[in-house]
Amino acid sequence: MKSRDQEYRELFMAEALEYYDAMSRHLSELERNPQDTEALNELFRLMHNLKANARAMGFVDMGEVAHKMETLFGQIRGQERTFTGSLVQLTFGAVDTLGNMIRAVGAGQESADAHVLLDNLDRLIRGEEPVQAAPEQTTEEADADAGRKLELSDLVYIPVKKLDNLLNLVGELVIDRDRILTLAAELGNAALQTTAQHLFRISDDLQYSVMDVRLVGAGVLLNKFPRVVRDVAAAENKQVELTLAGQDVQIDRNVLQLITDALLHIVRNGVSHGLEDAATRVAAGKPAVGQLRISALTERDDVLIQIQDDGRGIDTEAVRQKAIRKGVITAEAAALLDEEGVWMLLFEAGFSMAEKITDISGRGVGLDVVKLAIDSLGGQLRVSSELGKGTMFTLVLPTSIAVKGALLVELDARAYAVPLLHTDTVLALHADEIFAVGGLLMTRVQEENVPLVPLRQLLYVEGDEPLPRATRADLPADDTLHQVLVVSYNNRRLGLIVDRFLRQQNIVVKPLSKPLDTIDLFGGVTLLGSGQLCLVLDVPALTRLFLTKRP
Amino acid sequence: MADSSAAPGSRRAAPVAPEAVVQLIVFRLGDEDYGIRIEQVKEVTVTPEVVKMPKTPPFIKGIANLRGDIIAIVDLEERFQLRPAGRPVPDFSYTLAVEAADYTLGLMVREVPRPLTIPVSLIEPAPEFVQDSGQRDKYLEGIAKLPDSEGVIIVLDMAKLLTPSEIMRLPGRVEPPAAKADEAPNAPTPPEKP
Repeated sequence: MKSRDQEYRELFMAEALEYYDAMSRHLSELERNPQDTEALNELFRLMHNLKANARAMGFVDMGEVAHKMETLFGQIRGQERTFTGSLVQLTFGAVDTLGNMIRAVGAGQESADAHVLLDNLDRLIRGEEPVQAAPEQTTEEADADAGRKLELSDLVYIPVKKLDNLLNLVGELVIDRDRILTLAAELGNAALQTTAQHLFRISDDLQYSVMDVRLVGAGVLLNKFPRVVRDVAAAENKQVELTLAGQDVQIDRNVLQLITDALLHIVRNGVSHGLEDAATRVAAGKPAVGQLRISALTERDDVLIQIQDDGRGIDTEAVRQKAIRKGVITAEAAALLDEEGVWMLLFEAGFSMAEKITDISGRGVGLDVVKLAIDSLGGQLRVSSELGKGTMFTLVLPTSIAVKGALLVELDARAYAVPLLHTDTVLALHADEIFAVGGLLMTRVQEENVPLVPLRQLLYVEGDEPLPRATRADLPADDTLHQVLVVSYNNRRLGLIVDRFLRQQNIVVKPLSKPLDTIDLFGGVTLLGSGQLCLVLDVPALTRLFLTKRP
Repeated sequence: MADSSAAPGSRRAAPVAPEAVVQLIVFRLGDEDYGIRIEQVKEVTVTPEVVKMPKTPPFIKGIANLRGDIIAIVDLEERFQLRPAGRPVPDFSYTLAVEAADYTLGLMVREVPRPLTIPVSLIEPAPEFVQDSGQRDKYLEGIAKLPDSEGVIIVLDMAKLLTPSEIMRLPGRVEPPAAKADEAPNAPTPPEKP
């Protein structure tokens, strides 16, 4: 494993060398045609990027040269000067120096002292002529320039799409591998079994390597937030100090991509609703500057992204009343919800807490987008809040979206997979542990009444009509045990009655292809070792279906 | 009777142009012969194990694993309402894997499909009068009359049938037929959330 430093250095090198090549090209274009604004703009941009990267890596001289070059090109762009005279020669020289500095970084050497060049660049910026007028090149140097090797970067850029394809192929391989393992065990051939075991190890390594390639630091996304927070704070006239943590936490690039909008919503929301303005804060005895903290951390196989503010906290009663007013929930149902249940209402579609519509939030869309994005990844969303003290949102995300732990259940001799992320408890209930309330079967799980529904009914009863009212008379009279899988979604538990439990296993979920991809009850399909197809149940969709069809 | 140079399908003026032919995969639906251009067919196979998929129209038989591709299996007889009443779905059937732009679909047929090469000129555009509840004619490329009274083959245009919205559409709900206008008030309404 490479150290993080080394990895960053390689990334820097790859980009910097690319910038250097582009600079040389554009500089030649500009020399041919000093009016070429496109080349000029590119040079300005390249210098700016190189400056930022070099400074971030602590290469002060390189950053300085790039900074002064950026200023020079800015002056040319602003038509304060033209690309002529001594400037031409000096900029070519400066770009060569940058190239040498970049190569020195790659070789792990100190780069040569650049103060002569920096002084000359300063003189040019001030409108003076450079001293020594950039000394004539010695023959030796000219030879070195002409004989310089062309170098190719040690890194390759790979479009994410190609990585996706690679991961899909590995997924298929893993499925076939499981099948071969099963067959080998059935056939009982020792040689075949040994080979199958070997295949197992290799494909496991391959899978982890491919997944590893797709991991990026959470900082890739988090580092975009200082600007976002600044803008929102400025628009809302608030003082906010943002702290970032855990930029090094590794997460699948696509997972990060899928939560970008969600995170943006939460952060904007935190600044615009969570944090108070300075006067309110001071009046409440808090420091005038609000604190916002975005951090990433690893918890077992998951990555948590937490957004914490020290603002006013969630006013649970206000949310409850608003939800009733907006028709998100009935007054009766709202009265039964505990604090956390009420907070989750914030993520229902069409619910927006802002009383006034601002640029930043309060358009009635927002937090429900967060919930959808996280559901689509099989993740979870947690909220904790204390009135007057602040709020913390926690996104629980899978490190990688390829492999999921799942519980396999059987219904009518068919296996269905339920992602472990949404399973809560497994119960075997006697008939006398089940009671009927209002047409619903219920049981007690840890001091809580949990509704029970036969999975068969949810899946196979067609139409949009409510399910038939259930009574205890529906239960078989004998003392068979009822197998119940309690799933949870949005702090809501639901007991699914199944025929039996099969086992727990890691599955590779393949998305359903068209035209079946519109059926949201299934998150996808997986192939079992037996070669059988197994549908993967989508617990959020199943819960929603139950809520619309409950008698 | 098929004088190719004068046939309506032939647009070429060159008199000696070789007769353009088309290769079809021909299969039976109900009591009729249907054909698909061979380039639209990826493979023909014995129907693999089909897993029933809840919440799909009845003519979607389920999903099957075809060499790692998970594809939907469609019963076209049922889709076009061509199965004579009382005839059961066969236990053993064949599947044509046909390719749409970005997915593959399996068409289940009861008998072994056979390849057939015919001159393009034999395919005549579908007549207007073919009107049935399955709106099958929407997906027709034309009808091929085989010489020597060997019958007709209805040539399907897969590209039209294979848009996801078309394939999922229930035959009865294609367009609200005028005769059934009185049923309109009972049209499915979106479920109300409690």
